[in-house]
Amino acid sequence: MSTAGGIIRALNSGVKHLAIRRFTLRYPEQKLKFVGDGFQFNPDTGVGIAGLRGRHILYHEHCTGCQLCSVACEGIAEAIGMVKVNETWKQNKKAIMPQIDYGKCVFCGLCVDACPFYALYMTNDYELSSFTKSALIYTPAQLGIKPKISQDVEIKIDDRGATHG
Amino acid sequence: MTTQLPPGIQLEKVDDRIMTLNVGPQHPGSGHMRLIIKVDGDYIVSCDPDPGYVHRGEEKMAEYRNYIQNIPHLERPVIHDSSNILYPYCLATEELLGIEVPERAKYIRVIAAELNRCIYTLYWLAIYGIFLGHSTMFMWPAGDRELFIDLLEAMSGARVTHAYLVPGGVRNDLPANFEERCLRQVDYFEKRIKEYQAIFYKNPLLISRTEGTGVLSRTDAIRLGTTGSVLRASGVNFDIRKKEPYDVYENLDFETVVMKEGDSYARSYVPYLEMFESCRIIRDAIRKMPKSGSVRTKLKPNPKGGNDEVYKRVESGRGALGYYIVSNNRPEPYRVKISVGSFRNLICMPYLLKGELLGNMPAVYWSLNYWPVEADR
Repeated sequence: MSTAGGIIRALNSGVKHLAIRRFTLRYPEQKLKFVGDGFQFNPDTGVGIAGLRGRHILYHEHCTGCQLCSVACEGIAEAIGMVKVNETWKQNKKAIMPQIDYGKCVFCGLCVDACPFYALYMTNDYELSSFTKSALIYTPAQLGIKPKISQDVEIKIDDRGATHG
Repeated sequence: MTTQLPPGIQLEKVDDRIMTLNVGPQHPGSGHMRLIIKVDGDYIVSCDPDPGYVHRGEEKMAEYRNYIQNIPHLERPVIHDSSNILYPYCLATEELLGIEVPERAKYIRVIAAELNRCIYTLYWLAIYGIFLGHSTMFMWPAGDRELFIDLLEAMSGARVTHAYLVPGGVRNDLPANFEERCLRQVDYFEKRIKEYQAIFYKNPLLISRTEGTGVLSRTDAIRLGTTGSVLRASGVNFDIRKKEPYDVYENLDFETVVMKEGDSYARSYVPYLEMFESCRIIRDAIRKMPKSGSVRTKLKPNPKGGNDEVYKRVESGRGALGYYIVSNNRPEPYRVKISVGSFRNLICMPYLLKGELLGNMPAVYWSLNYWPVEADR
């Protein structure tokens, strides 16, 4: 009898959930909201600023071509290579800037830690899939573009359970 | 007629009653490892675990990278518990390099480690549910895990491989309003995991399969050198957070969960009860944490350790997890040895599975809190 009772209690606890709202997110229509504009780094304090570690953004006006991001990535993913650019900046005499291969990048953000000139940050953009491998290699010009993203859904908790949006 | 065999090689004697089964290595629910099981009818005669299929050479890789570059790849063995696998590395490196950690960073590290322990335990529990054919118990923990993944994502910026703990503190400060959000989600989470009692732990079907199977006595648990929840389920009160407190665990209010039975049920129940203790630790840490201050000691570029060696260990989701680091005045460590709980718990398997029903094999196997990738490193 206790066995039957136990099974009925177990079933009951599951049946109660029919009245509870679904927890899952309807992904392409709804997108989760993140804290801030992405992972950034403050070299004065040596501490980062919280945010999602998505694709990078490169500020061409700050980049000096010092290659520290590329050195930091050696031995981790070797995703960053320095390439020539057809731009003339006073601070970038060698005219080289990082190019990032997202087929290799592990999104650890140590390149952002390494940049002493506030030039390389990360953004909230995580949708990087493409049909070819070569399209995953982002040139300095592509990295300079700020991504357009709409992320607004948050986890809400009330009496009827937790739900997304 | 007999075939001439090369010297030193013998053919295995075949007994018609005994059949050999290879469980694995292609992820039959065992993870990437193989169990060579000999069965007599439905009963297991012997079991020979055969790990090593996911060996990645993490220890060798660590010898060619400096102390900061080691962080992203050392957390790969257990991506669900990545804060806990980095914790002893950070503690050991801090001692080698002589770095002081700010007080606020210590509390943030404890919060990250406890959140990660819950994430790991829920993932493990989800797999335990599906091993025993309980698909609801797969869905619920996998869904509730999202609450804590969301918190860690806000803290660190990544869902699973956080790379959040570094020698000298943490990578970034907590975002605004994190404390309230964390407390709200921990409260809801605690309410939620109480529901697992009726559907899983008090379910007669689970009890009939796990109670009394794979009993590990207290003396055997100590003799075989098991750690973590396996040891505590056999009645040994040993938790590194209590016995050798690191960072700020000595200031925090929590208890060690100990059960006496030592069977699969106790081994699966101890990590569940520890999740409540983790919630207690998170609440206490948020209350006692300094409200502002530095979170990371700035390191020199390419810091060098002296001619020294350090061993540090912490309590991870699977038991004691230690790093032994030797340095020789270079920016890279000379030798890194990772001592993991999974590998120590694996040795019980031949002892526990002898004489069990083959159908109870998954119940015993996964209750050992064993993670193949971590064991192979």
